[in-house]
Amino acid sequence: MFFLHNLERRVTLHPSYFGKNMHELVTTKLVKDVEGTCAGDYYVIAIMDTFDISEGRILPGSGLAEFTVGYRAVVWRPFKNEVIDAIVTTVNPHGFFAQAGPLRLFVSTHLIPDEIKYDASATPPQFTNNADIVIEQGTHVRVKIIGLRTEVGEMWAIGTINGDFLGCLQA
Amino acid sequence: MSKTVKLGSRLRYPITIVKLLKSPGDPIKKQEPVLTYSFKWMREVGDSIRGETWQVEQTTVVTWESPAEGDLTKWLIKEGQYITADTPCLVVKESCPHDIQFQGLCGICGKDMTEVNWAAETQDTERAPISMVHDQTNLRVGAEHAQRVEQELQRRLLQSRKLSLVVDLDQTIIQACIDPTVGEWQRDPTNPNHDAVKDVKSFQLDDGPSALARKCWYYIKMRPGLEGFLKRISEMYELHVYTMGTRAYAQNVARVVDPDRKLFGNRVISRDENGNIYTKSLQRLFPVSTNMVVIIDDRSDVWPRNRPNLIKVSPYEFFKGIGDINSSFLPKRQDLLTAEPKINGVGKREDKKVVFANNDKNDAAARQAIVNGQEDVALTQRQLEDQERQLEKQLKDRPLQHLQEQLDREDEEAEKASVQSEDGSELRSSSPPPHRHRVLQDDDNELEHLERHLRTLHAAFYAEYDALREKHHVDAHIDFAAVPDVGAILDELKSRVLRGFKIVLSGVLPRNVDIYESEIGLQIMSFGAELRPSITSDVTHLVVNVQQPGIEKLMAARRRPHIKIVSQQWLADCFSRWEAVDETPYLFTARLADEVVDHLKDEISDADDEDTENKTPNGKVGRRRPLKLKLIDPTGQATDVEQAIEDEDGLEDEDGLIPDDIEEGQPSPIDGLKTFNWGDADEELNEFLASGSSDEDEDEEDDEDYVPKEDEEDESSSEDSGSHNSGSRSATPSGSPSRKRKLSEEIEEDDENNSTASSITQEAEQQAKRLRRTKSPLPSTLRAEYAAGEKGTTEESVLPTPSGTGDEVDEQQSGAAGSEQKQSEEVDDDDFDEAALEAELEAEFEAELHGIMAEEAAAENHLEGQELEKG
Repeated sequence: MFFLHNLERRVTLHPSYFGKNMHELVTTKLVKDVEGTCAGDYYVIAIMDTFDISEGRILPGSGLAEFTVGYRAVVWRPFKNEVIDAIVTTVNPHGFFAQAGPLRLFVSTHLIPDEIKYDASATPPQFTNNADIVIEQGTHVRVKIIGLRTEVGEMWAIGTINGDFLGCLQA
Repeated sequence: MSKTVKLGSRLRYPITIVKLLKSPGDPIKKQEPVLTYSFKWMREVGDSIRGETWQVEQTTVVTWESPAEGDLTKWLIKEGQYITADTPCLVVKESCPHDIQFQGLCGICGKDMTEVNWAAETQDTERAPISMVHDQTNLRVGAEHAQRVEQELQRRLLQSRKLSLVVDLDQTIIQACIDPTVGEWQRDPTNPNHDAVKDVKSFQLDDGPSALARKCWYYIKMRPGLEGFLKRISEMYELHVYTMGTRAYAQNVARVVDPDRKLFGNRVISRDENGNIYTKSLQRLFPVSTNMVVIIDDRSDVWPRNRPNLIKVSPYEFFKGIGDINSSFLPKRQDLLTAEPKINGVGKREDKKVVFANNDKNDAAARQAIVNGQEDVALTQRQLEDQERQLEKQLKDRPLQHLQEQLDREDEEAEKASVQSEDGSELRSSSPPPHRHRVLQDDDNELEHLERHLRTLHAAFYAEYDALREKHHVDAHIDFAAVPDVGAILDELKSRVLRGFKIVLSGVLPRNVDIYESEIGLQIMSFGAELRPSITSDVTHLVVNVQQPGIEKLMAARRRPHIKIVSQQWLADCFSRWEAVDETPYLFTARLADEVVDHLKDEISDADDEDTENKTPNGKVGRRRPLKLKLIDPTGQATDVEQAIEDEDGLEDEDGLIPDDIEEGQPSPIDGLKTFNWGDADEELNEFLASGSSDEDEDEEDDEDYVPKEDEEDESSSEDSGSHNSGSRSATPSGSPSRKRKLSEEIEEDDENNSTASSITQEAEQQAKRLRRTKSPLPSTLRAEYAAGEKGTTEESVLPTPSGTGDEVDEQQSGAAGSEQKQSEEVDDDDFDEAALEAELEAEFEAELHGIMAEEAAAENHLEGQELEKG
């Protein structure tokens, strides 16, 4: 789920950048540092704007200036039981992997409807019910997240396509 | 999905179950108390400060929490039960077996498996320990699941009558190189190598290991006939790629080899997913059963656990001297049968040496890592850096260009030479430059053989499968009990190839290598031949390294015409074609350059031919020598033995004379010499010497009875040998210095004695002789005994290798023995050693000694002449 989130971050600036466009530089640096990262249990997708850049404070010893920046960012936090769209990356006999934006998720054979079987002889290998559903590399699928785990800078999820309106998305 | 839960080893046994808190059918959660138990323990009570303490037995009741979650099926223990050790207590029906896990998440229920549970002794992540997916390491499965998936795979393969084939990339089906020269040659149609590199494919890798190697072009040369080979083989086998390259490299190569992705699909595994950069393991892909898996690889040492399933392919070397760009961290190949290319790039030698020195250091560690099956992180890092350096070097040094330049230079020189020889009679300057030689030759046909083998194997496997199924009378489509082990079938097929051959290797392996453990040795045995350490009469083939043949085995084999002496290439071709190739083109016929060796060899072979009939298991050499003594001019014999030994010492190969019957319990040829009767040799030598030196004596005493004369000559001979020792071998190491001194003293006395024995005063001499004659029987027997005793002691001290001292010591000792006993005689003969005579006698002896030595030399020359004529 996407949120607009007010966040705060300390940004340091090298003395050589001190000047009249310091605030611009601070914003640039903030964007570079933060956008696209995984901060615990959410991803920072985009920074909307900065609304409060504090006065710079010179750090003793190094001479760097530290600014405390308040900013507004679009963040994405996947939730358990959330339904998201993803693209299949690899298929193997145990299930398939899919990518939902930055999130890697795995759908095991237990969580795929029984009629959809693994077919190794197809090229590339696929899950198929020998009718309209073919899940192979590059297929768009709709997945419900049933488990999530985060580590510093990374998140993984377990998904299922066992349910109504889940699974292969017809274009 | 019932799970039996044990109490765990952490409890304070013995315990008594007090109460079961749950009854069957109840849902239980993790870490929820399910029973209470009591245990007894001793508690210290009282005043610990004053030391008035005593032990009191206490009973404590505690709860036990469930490590598992689910519905309680039944209890395996009763209330009030007395339990002394860890035991199963309950059965729980779990809702999820957690046997597929992705990054610590259960792939079935989505729960986090890394959560630490204090009630359980094992972590849930351990329930799915097996990683069996090609392109992922973080997806792990449990044993049951793995088995299910694999049976599914086998069922599918059996239905389509296929097998699995694991294919290595580098030097097996392709060769890669990053030398930019290849690209230049490709663009230059006039280059002699243009034809060869025309169809070399290339790709750029972004994730190069270093800044320099980044964005570099990889040139991939496919083995000739690869496309057709893979196409045909893929009808019988499901193909997997298993490479030591990186993931990106593997995928790119797979794309080059198989653009439609029809052959390999996504069954590509690289070192990134392998989890070990030294070894490959079939268990990584087929954790349960490798019954239907065949491997083709150019290295067998990376498959320590899966040798039976491996078909070893001869490495593909198109870009000369490049080798396998992805295996520089592997230990050096030890299984090269074909000679390594001599030229490794001009001007590159020194750098190479440095790298190699570095590699050597890592080599042993890598080998160790293969053995242990685990790797050292620091070492891995170091080796990856090494590899990087080597790649950079290849980029910078352009070894191929150097090779071509060198070839061109050679061509030029050759041309110059030819022009000079023709003396300008044929002016070729106007004609286009002659065909330049090229470095790259595209003449490999290994894949043809390989395809044949794979076909044979496939047919054999399904023949056996059908036969087994017939026997089991199974109507069902699939019967896993009827699936034969393809490894066993492969073994059987291979072992037919050289069955009945008994092969000896010579110069192929380093000396310190155990042939039965070596790569080549294992190969030979896997093809059904017997490997022998040395030549015996039932050996059929001697495989020699053409560059440096082992002298002793070659000589031994030359003696037996039925042994075929072949080059390594024969073995390589047998391995490659899986048939006993006709030996004729491979026969090793070159004579050894070393004349001495030839000479010696002929001599021995003469002797050997004669006694092959009455060959005995031991003492053969000992027997051989005396036999020869009779055959050859007896006078020459003793010197001959000596000469032979000297020759032997002169040989580079010290055990050049090691007889073939080593395993029959004879460690050394010198053992034969030990049993050799040196007394006899001495006697004969002396006979010969005496016949020259003291002619007058003989003339005189010829009519006398034989024994005394011999006895007398014995003495003179012992003197001779003694003097000989001191004269010619003073430099050679003898026994202890004190012994030496003693010896020389004796010799001095002998000198005097000798002079009396052979000199002017006939009467005195006659008298002496008579005296001696009367005394001789006793001392001579004594001497014999003494000498024998000496020999006994020396035998132990003599080294088993012909170090050249054993016989000397013996000789000296026998000489010493002789002179010693003579000394005792001399005590009686004192009256002859008058001071007046002394000076005269001395001079006399001097002259005589010179005479003897000259004659001896002459005899030796004569003998040599004889033998040369014979040879």
